[in-house]
Amino acid sequence: METELAQKLVAGLKLAGIDLVTYLPETRLSQILPLLRDDPAFTLVPVASESEAVTIGAGAALAGKQVAIYIECTGLYVSCYTLVSIARRYGVPLLLIVGYLGSMADQRNNSVYAVSGAYVEPLLQALQIQFQVLQTGERLEANIQDAVRQMHALKLPVALLFSGDFTR
Amino acid sequence: MIRFDCLTLLAPRITDQLVVTSLSGQKIEWASLSQHPGNLLVGTMGTALGVGIGLAIGLPQRKVIVLESDGSVLLSLFNLATLANLGPKNLIVFVFDNQVYSGTRISEPTATAGKTDLTMMARGAGIEQATTVRDLAAFAREMDAALNGAEMKFIVCKIEESVTHREITRTDLDPLENKYQFVRYLERTEGRPIFRGRG
Repeated sequence: METELAQKLVAGLKLAGIDLVTYLPETRLSQILPLLRDDPAFTLVPVASESEAVTIGAGAALAGKQVAIYIECTGLYVSCYTLVSIARRYGVPLLLIVGYLGSMADQRNNSVYAVSGAYVEPLLQALQIQFQVLQTGERLEANIQDAVRQMHALKLPVALLFSGDFTR
Repeated sequence: MIRFDCLTLLAPRITDQLVVTSLSGQKIEWASLSQHPGNLLVGTMGTALGVGIGLAIGLPQRKVIVLESDGSVLLSLFNLATLANLGPKNLIVFVFDNQVYSGTRISEPTATAGKTDLTMMARGAGIEQATTVRDLAAFAREMDAALNGAEMKFIVCKIEESVTHREITRTDLDPLENKYQFVRYLERTEGRPIFRGRG
């Protein structure tokens, strides 16, 4: 992802009030990590599995943190159980920032990713997690604010899937 | 040593600490011994420790106690590495290790009934202070030190399998009700709102 877009994404998270990010790094959006780390407005929590990105994020959210979970889309498969048993069952507002590998507009898509990408949207629909696919930085700040407003209104996880320009 | 006797020692010591429980028997036993609004009765396998870590990070001035089990920790072993590296000083973890999946009601053994030692695994993950207790006196000593200290604790409690919880009426606290009770308690005691959004 281009530096300017990474900066815009991080600025959008900050503007929306996100102050804690659990994450397992991936390839498409990783440029946001040094920016998040350098900004004292964010607490960064590295994890070893997307499953605990959800449980740790949920605990922090119940403590009053405004939480984003940054993962690759395959991490949604890993975290299904905790998304259902904790985030959904308790009703915890969490913003899922997802690198949408294997999507049609993934600019680095290939046979490694395409199959994994194909099930992401049906999976989120099955989990009843509202989501939006973003391909450009146009209206990025507004998209993030909309998602954060929705997660608080629903008190549930809401996902932003990043493809297109975010995957260059 | 059985879990209920350990929890009976712990319950009267709770003042403003937050307690996160794992599943089945210990959730039932703890809910019968303590109706504190700072209880979060998570009750699903492999999730309590993660939630407790998140609470401890979010509220660094508040003591957080996690009641875990061997089967549950084994399901989410990645928690150990993450916990070691984050090292929240306000977190106390008790792992009640009865060496069985007691919910099966056929005493199906967990890996700790075989070669696996959760204290050694925790140490290997980087939780150097992980320790094992095998009797009630040792549990009471470690519990006192943990409650009075300012360091993260990871205490594996080797217990006998017990069916005490099957004699106890289960709490009817719904997860959403439990969440709001817990969050409103935090809002009162922390003096700030937790959830955003207006009605």
